[in-house]
Amino acid sequence: MKKGIAAFVLIALSALAADLTGNWSGSFTVEGGDHDVPQRFTLRRQGKSLSGSGGPDAGEQYPIENGSVEGNEATFQITTGEWKFTYHLRQLSADRLAGDLKLESVNDSRTAKVSLTRVQGD
Amino acid sequence: MRRLVLNLHLAIALLAGAFIVVLGATGSILAFEPQLDRLLHRDVSYVKPGVRVLSLVEIGDAVARKYPGEPVVAYLRSDAADLPNRVILSRGIVSVNQYTGEILGVRTRGQTFLGVVRALHVRLAAGEAGRLVLKWAADGLLFLLISGLYLWWPAKRMRIRGSMGSPKFWFDLHSAVGIFSFLPLLALAASGTILAFEDQLASVLGKPPDSHSVQVKPPQVGSAPRPNATEITPDEAVAIARRELPDALPYRVQMPGYGGLYVIALEYMDHRIAGDRNSVSIDPWSGRIVAAKLAAGLGFQQRFMTANQAIHTGSILGTASRIAAALTGLLVPVQAVSGVVLWLRRRRTWQPT
Repeated sequence: MKKGIAAFVLIALSALAADLTGNWSGSFTVEGGDHDVPQRFTLRRQGKSLSGSGGPDAGEQYPIENGSVEGNEATFQITTGEWKFTYHLRQLSADRLAGDLKLESVNDSRTAKVSLTRVQGD
Repeated sequence: MRRLVLNLHLAIALLAGAFIVVLGATGSILAFEPQLDRLLHRDVSYVKPGVRVLSLVEIGDAVARKYPGEPVVAYLRSDAADLPNRVILSRGIVSVNQYTGEILGVRTRGQTFLGVVRALHVRLAAGEAGRLVLKWAADGLLFLLISGLYLWWPAKRMRIRGSMGSPKFWFDLHSAVGIFSFLPLLALAASGTILAFEDQLASVLGKPPDSHSVQVKPPQVGSAPRPNATEITPDEAVAIARRELPDALPYRVQMPGYGGLYVIALEYMDHRIAGDRNSVSIDPWSGRIVAAKLAAGLGFQQRFMTANQAIHTGSILGTASRIAAALTGLLVPVQAVSGVVLWLRRRRTWQPT
């Protein structure tokens, strides 16, 4: 019985993770900041690796680097210029991702909270 | 009235004094942040000026030989003959001698001493709570300056008399430093308060359509790659941008792999305010300019905020105003110490014997 439940949970989690592929939009808020920054991602999952692009909107997109998926957690990076963004996201439901973001430039390092929802109809 | 103002001056100084000292001391360091950064990383910050400057393609090739397979995110052109060009990669910022192609080294991203100083100055390195505390500390400094001027006015002390350490010495020191630092400190405190409440001000004044500059050509998405077509080079993109703004110097070239278009940032060296707020976006396949943002198109609100920032950082009049900003910041701890000494002596005289 326990094995059956564990198998069900594993299958459910992997199904959630597989759902990462698609378009996502939302925002992040930097710790100590008082406004949200828009975000838009196109994610493609292949096994345990994650690729695609992300940026502030659909027109300005940067390639995803070092993307990986483990269970219902995704980790990837984006370099926009002086700043590098490292995302650690957890899939909370089929249509919702949330987690932490580390922003780093030469001399500076900050953290932020990210929240994304699946873009419907894309 | 005078007693009330004095008591308020004391109370606010005791409440906000420590935070104001942090603002002053860290602000003094930040006034020369680029220079200090170069001093702390001398090995990657200077080159011997040569005769011929390499093209961006040649600089990119030199970087590719050192870091094969790593795409260039952006080129940062040197703004002085003895400073190197820099090339942004995912791994960090590579310094390149633009005369020889020598790779001087790479700066990786992450927190450093200057980053900590900046975090202290902006948010006490303590997130939203620290930012809020500093906002109100800056307002406290404004009150201290106005009330200090009111208290100074009757005696108008501008010279330090009395022997070192005597009550007269401390009083004169507080008065003289206060009046000589009044105007620059008022400018720094007022501009800092405007920066701290920038978002609230924007919501009152109405946010401009573009927070950076004004589009003079409608933005268009870059065209898709065509079969057998090749992208224009970064040097060709710079040449196209310079034809659009012939008197401006390019200082940054964002590569199309990162954002979809070549984005060339250009600066008018003789414009102190917003001279660097120009950019030209170019389709990498056709070489067509798809958007241009010009500083000349900035509205009043954006010019005001840019000028305010230049006042606060001390960059508005170049090195002279940076030195003035740094010295003024250093006078804040002097005022704090002399103020505390005066307050302690005042308390002692009130103690019943």
